[in-house]
Amino acid sequence: MTSQPILRLRINGQPVETPAPPERILLDLLREDLRLTGTKRGCDLGTCGCCTVLLDGRPTLSCLTLAHLAEGREITTIEGVSTGTALHPVQRAFVDLGATQCGFCTPGFVLTAVALLRERPRPTRDQVVEAIAGNLCRCTGYTKIIEAIEAAARAAPG
Amino acid sequence: MHLEPFELHRPTSVEEAAGLARTHAGRCDFLAGGTDLLPNYKMHINLRPHLISLDRVGEMTHREGGRVGAMTRLAELERDAAFARDYPGVAEAARQVATPLVRASATVGGNLLVETRCFFFNQSQFWRASLGFCLKADGDRCHVVPQKAVCYATFSGDLAPALMVVGAEVEVAGPDGRRRFPVGALYDAAGDGIRRVTLAPGEVVVAVHLPAEARGRPSGYAKLRARPSFDFPELGVAVALSRDGDRLAALRVATGGLEPHPREFDAITARYVGEPLSPERLDALAAEVQAAVRPVHNTAYPPDYRKRMTGVFVRRTVERLWSGGTAA
Ligand SMILES: Cc1cc2nc3c(=O)[nH]c(=O)nc-3n(C[C@H](O)[C@H](O)[C@H](O)COP(=O)(O)OP(=O)(O)OC[C@H]3O[C@@H](n4cnc5c(N)ncnc54)[C@H](O)[C@@H]3O)c2cc1C
Ligand code: SF4
Ligand code: FES
Ligand code: FES
Repeated sequence: MTSQPILRLRINGQPVETPAPPERILLDLLREDLRLTGTKRGCDLGTCGCCTVLLDGRPTLSCLTLAHLAEGREITTIEGVSTGTALHPVQRAFVDLGATQCGFCTPGFVLTAVALLRERPRPTRDQVVEAIAGNLCRCTGYTKIIEAIEAAARAAPG
Repeated sequence: MHLEPFELHRPTSVEEAAGLARTHAGRCDFLAGGTDLLPNYKMHINLRPHLISLDRVGEMTHREGGRVGAMTRLAELERDAAFARDYPGVAEAARQVATPLVRASATVGGNLLVETRCFFFNQSQFWRASLGFCLKADGDRCHVVPQKAVCYATFSGDLAPALMVVGAEVEVAGPDGRRRFPVGALYDAAGDGIRRVTLAPGEVVVAVHLPAEARGRPSGYAKLRARPSFDFPELGVAVALSRDGDRLAALRVATGGLEPHPREFDAITARYVGEPLSPERLDALAAEVQAAVRPVHNTAYPPDYRKRMTGVFVRRTVERLWSGGTAA
């Protein structure tokens, strides 16, 4: 059966309709069908976190998610994090503190951090380290990433 | 990596799921969180033309008291402070599965039935084809123990040993109705890394039941792995005990990550119950469990090291619970 049912998704607050076979992986659908290439493909096997998106606000690996199972859920990709040209405070902190080098892992880290700060606006260092445990970075050595997330937490009002 | 085409079924009841599995017996897989199945499918390992997604089966996502639906996400379990107080060892095991990102999708049922692992098996099709396929997928020999036509792939789920030592049961539904039995009986002790569970074709795990009488009993889980925030177990040790003054009133020990199935050591632990737990007796217990386990060379660490660390982990975990320590 290779029928191409129409999939109705909500991505970054917008309704999206696109044909997709049942075996379509969410990461492939985002990058290849919808050209939302901010979501990165690293390992494609669940071991790097580069493909992280938010599903109903929770960080989720899009490389291990069937697109059809995301129907009816709110999908947030890195393209949906800033407001117009204004960076999200987490993105701002990553830029200001040099938490990005090659940038390949950055979308995944930013989304993981955005979700963490929504759940815990003032995380301890241990909570930050635990939250990003599934996101790998080959460049920064993590210190600046951790500092940037802490800075974003401090910058938030309240 | 794109997946090969399959037909996706999305039943809304347990009976419908079991019925679909019977109709497509041998040609289907259940899909829960997909964090184990989809990587294997991407590597072209044992593909099936029908996938039965359990995401719409409401009964399986439901959690109430000691009944944990099979589709409960590990992330949900670890956020539940009351659950961690009641069953500390199970919570400790859940927190140590993979990474937070994987645990957001990974389910309890999928963890019990996670595919056994082997260095020669968890590889791309290209890699496996280069060496020659093995018994567990597409081939006719074992690269680990070539003399035998048996698969030694390692059971690598963290929850099973922790559930076994608190006396948890699984509820299974199939063509002939429902049955309930201890978690340990889910695994086929007479089987191997391929024929590893006792489920009949069409049977689906509906829920895990944690016994009320085990609530608050000291239990713990210790795991050896290369990266403490990421990897599958190189060994896992689960312990539950109760203490009566300076005597050991009850003791259960189970291991995972060492053999094709998780294993409990009732015959050994029975000899330590009813007596005080002196340092000598603790050493003897650890040595007995260590001597009983049989890891082979199919994971990152050498089997001899995993075997010796089994003794170390049994001693440390029993000691921690005996002296009233909490989770590490
Ligand atoms: C990077 C990475 C690291 C990992 N590390 C660990 C680790 O440290 N420890 C660990 O235990 N696991 C680990 N895993 C494996 C996996 O994430 C977990 O075991 C997880 O709990 C599997 O659950 P799932 O819902 O994703 O299963 P799925 O992938 O959906 O299913 C796994 C298997 O169980 C079957 N199945 C699922 N649910 C049912 C059911 N209700 N009834 C009958 N059959 C069913 C499926 O058909 C399939 O064969 C890791 C995975 C990744 C990608
Ligand atoms: S133990 Fe042998 S048969 Fe089993 S997966 Fe490894 S190489 Fe294959
Ligand atoms: S691309 Fe999904 S975890 Fe690496
Ligand atoms: S900045 Fe290069 S991988 Fe993280």
